[in-house]
Amino acid sequence: MAVLLIAIPLLFAFVSILNKKYAFYLLALVAAFNFVFSFFLEKGMYSIGGFGPFGINLLVDQYALIGLWLLNGLFFLTVMINLKASKKLATVLIVLLAGINGLLLTNDLFNLFVFLEITGISAYLLTTENKKPVSSFNYLVQGTVGSGLYLLGLVILYSMIGTLNMSDVISRIYTIGATPTTLLLPFMLMFIGLGVEAKLLPFNSWVKGVLEKAKPLSGTLVSSVIAGTILLVFGRLLTTVMVISNADMLITIILIATIIAGEVAAFKSTRIREILLFSSIGQAGLVVYLFTHGLLMQGVLLIIANVLSKFVLFTIGASLAEAAGDEVEELRGAFKNNKLLGIGFTVAALSVTGLPLFFGFVVKLNVLLGIFGSYDLITPIIILVVSLIEGVYFIKLLMKLWYGESNVQIKNVLMTVSVLSVAVVLIVLGVYYQPMMDLVAPIKDEMIMIIQGGSF
Amino acid sequence: MIQIASILLVMLGLYGILTNRNIIKIIISLNIFEVGLNLFIVSLAYVEGGIDPILTSHSASSTLSFVDPLPHALVLTAIVIGVGTTALGLAFAKKIYAKYGTYELDEMGVE
Repeated sequence: MAVLLIAIPLLFAFVSILNKKYAFYLLALVAAFNFVFSFFLEKGMYSIGGFGPFGINLLVDQYALIGLWLLNGLFFLTVMINLKASKKLATVLIVLLAGINGLLLTNDLFNLFVFLEITGISAYLLTTENKKPVSSFNYLVQGTVGSGLYLLGLVILYSMIGTLNMSDVISRIYTIGATPTTLLLPFMLMFIGLGVEAKLLPFNSWVKGVLEKAKPLSGTLVSSVIAGTILLVFGRLLTTVMVISNADMLITIILIATIIAGEVAAFKSTRIREILLFSSIGQAGLVVYLFTHGLLMQGVLLIIANVLSKFVLFTIGASLAEAAGDEVEELRGAFKNNKLLGIGFTVAALSVTGLPLFFGFVVKLNVLLGIFGSYDLITPIIILVVSLIEGVYFIKLLMKLWYGESNVQIKNVLMTVSVLSVAVVLIVLGVYYQPMMDLVAPIKDEMIMIIQGGSF
Repeated sequence: MIQIASILLVMLGLYGILTNRNIIKIIISLNIFEVGLNLFIVSLAYVEGGIDPILTSHSASSTLSFVDPLPHALVLTAIVIGVGTTALGLAFAKKIYAKYGTYELDEMGVE
């Protein structure tokens, strides 16, 4: 059943090459199908080809379901908003959809590599929309080297423990008695490989080139949908596979450096897309930090908040920048003529900074409580200071965008409606957050249960 | 021995990617990196005096004398993916040449 989410997009990708005229309608159909179908999925382990635990398995648990609902929904919205752009890239987008669903569902380390490459290749192709071939090439080289290192890591892990099944890895490690020192090599290689796509600090020089001039379609997909997928994959791997225990110090320093560098660079920048891209680097660092410290639930909440608000921010930010120019100074008063879009942008920006009444506040509160709970006092201080920086630059940005004279006009009813509805979701979840908490509460217990050999 | 050689190839590829400023040379280095990786994966499957992992009339004395077939399957997939990325990289190279008239990253100016 679950395999349809991957197989149908792949099938339609071939069909769309044969019928170029109808490619866009196929894309819309497949995206809608994946979104609707993910609500009818039943939890469980689906083995492909009937090889049981030895072959490739797809795992549908609460964690995968949350990712599927969120990202398939946002993918559909993004495609629909950017009708014109997605018509040209319809086939690529269908393949990307297959890659995203595969990444969220798979329970096999090598299969994960394949989907990482599928997602990566379609992401490189998406960035050609920006007409900056050198940065696309840069992205391709770094992404390929990253996934190559991930492959090296997983093969070394395989030769040590003899399995690629993600839920079997930890029990095998205990059976053969591998020490953390010997496991450090494969896990660090895998961490670096995924870190390239997740935009962690030393490996993220591709981000600026790809996103600083990104059009609404590729910008929103790369910074919201693909980033959310990779971070969810990171969370699953760091919880069920990679038990990095004696590299904590090193990784913590890398991640804190990512958070600080991202936010400070965003503070310093004067261009709207640059501000958003640097802020998303900082947020990615924070999410991975939470995962490495075992705070899975808080990490997932942060991903949800981030993906939703980055969708709004990048859609509006990139459209404004395309219409009037990148510099914030040129965009002074841009929201005067586009009040509804302005309201959506403001809600999303305030949610990212973590003001009460918005979803971001609930998330940040949970994150800080979680970190305090693990008797770590320095990191919360860093996060609070960074949040302050974040608040300052976002409010500065909002002030400039609301006050001043401008004649920028953006007329796109579909965009306004979907941006506003996501903004409403951010407010509703900020006030009435209990259902969301109930939704994410069981994810960690489920994962641990599956590792220990239980089933649904 | 072959494992050390393949890791050396991987390192050589990485060195090439980091030091070259010519797009075609970078793509070649990327290929060397991938070839080294694939050789390394295949070498892990090798068993001294092992037999083919297929059903034959000679019954093996123990399952341990089989060569591990999984890494070969992995390499097959990895090769296909590598070809895909190389093709895409060359397409980008063509685009870059059409835009700037050169393959040298330093001669393109700041993008």
